[in-house]
Amino acid sequence: MMTVLAQKDFKIRYRNSVLGFLWSLLNPLAYMVILTLVFSLLLRVSIPNFAAWVLIGILVWRFFSIGTAQGLSTLVANPSLVSKVCIPRHVIVLSNNVANFLGSALEFLVLVPLLALLGVDLTAYALFLPVILVSEFLLVFGLSLSLSALNLRYRDFYQLWDIALQLGFFLSPIVYDASLIPSGFQLVYSLNPVTRLIESARDIFLLNKLPTLFDNAVILSSIAIILAFGFLIFRRLEGRFAEEL
Amino acid sequence: MSVIQVDELWKRFRIPHERRVTVLEHLAGLLSILERKRYSYEEFWALKDVNLKLEYGESLGIVGPNGSGKSTLLKLIARVMRPDKGAIKTNGSTASVLELGIGFHSDLTVKENALVYGVIMGLPRSEMRKRTDSILDFAGLTRFQDAKLKSLSSGMQVRLAFSIAIEIEADIFLVDEALAVGDMEFQEKCLNKFREFKKAKKSIVLVSHSMDLVKRFCERTLYLLNGETRAFGPSEEATRQYLEDVKSSTGTN
Repeated sequence: MMTVLAQKDFKIRYRNSVLGFLWSLLNPLAYMVILTLVFSLLLRVSIPNFAAWVLIGILVWRFFSIGTAQGLSTLVANPSLVSKVCIPRHVIVLSNNVANFLGSALEFLVLVPLLALLGVDLTAYALFLPVILVSEFLLVFGLSLSLSALNLRYRDFYQLWDIALQLGFFLSPIVYDASLIPSGFQLVYSLNPVTRLIESARDIFLLNKLPTLFDNAVILSSIAIILAFGFLIFRRLEGRFAEEL
Repeated sequence: MSVIQVDELWKRFRIPHERRVTVLEHLAGLLSILERKRYSYEEFWALKDVNLKLEYGESLGIVGPNGSGKSTLLKLIARVMRPDKGAIKTNGSTASVLELGIGFHSDLTVKENALVYGVIMGLPRSEMRKRTDSILDFAGLTRFQDAKLKSLSSGMQVRLAFSIAIEIEADIFLVDEALAVGDMEFQEKCLNKFREFKKAKKSIVLVSHSMDLVKRFCERTLYLLNGETRAFGPSEEATRQYLEDVKSSTGTN
């Protein structure tokens, strides 16, 4: 059932548009061009190969922001699935996350060769990408579980998460280098799992090295905490889902 | 051996007096507790001490006025909601047709929707693939199979959903008013399917306002009034009680 629902979400995303999946590629590319123009040419940020560097950040961020924003709405958007049929509710959330995971994987798959065009030497380290994407998927799933359950009770979470994502965009090193953060805040700043995912992705593509132990430690422990928390909240609130929709 | 057994079932809903559904309103509510104005909600018992037992091969009709708890009971049997007190035991697999076309999406094709709905209703994917053609044939929609669902009339969409729903294999079917749709020919097809279920000794739990339908298919009927059992027994008697109540309350003879 999870597979069928994920396929459904995946198909719907690109129906009714002429360019379909191409949008998934054009959107990050357009972002890359805009950000490169603004930061590299106008603000003269001196990061080597800024276009490639920023594209990787955008792709990682896209999966996180779209994945959680959609995951948050899944239960509210499918009231009949929640209150008219007895299926495991987490499957509704999971299938949406899987659809976004596939979308993100495809984006990477198509756009990574573009990195070569931008002058990046791709090495075998790039094969570490699935590990990064799966970690990010687990993070998105854990967050979607809590957010979708909370949003079902308080619709405010839709707005709150929207703001949180805007904040998150600037609290992650997507358009600037993490070294710009004042040293007093470095530790707190670096504990953000999305930051670690972005840095990991840049490591394997641009710096030809594996993510550091610190990256992996932060990512793994946040996955554990967020997933556990997600299941806990979901379990807790699930009993009254059908009544509150 | 009983197919369904419901013991001392209670279900409560909470209806907030002022609907505070946002975080801010809840915070305001907490403050008002400090001010000794209690954050209040009304407790509403949708079902009060309902008991019933259905034997193998029997079907159950549930009747009563709007808001009497019929659908709530059905949802509890379907395990979509949890009871506050009491227990429900079911013997055998259940299929719930509380709503037709769950998960339908207007931008997917008829065939794609058929697969999604079938799988949600509990049919394995491989099974669904095999049966799609016969389902579309039964629904009379074969030539529209690759059209988007939104190009179908609402009646046709319901036909599609129902044609899939009756493919479900289960021992107990929970059906909520789903028959009140479709043209006469289609309704007749559905009734035939019901007869097949009965012949195969499967149980149907039917929430309906049609006393005729209930009497035709259900051996036993539960008549709910304000969440309480007004009558439970042979369908002839329970529906008669309901009709008498309706007549006396509306003052007609």
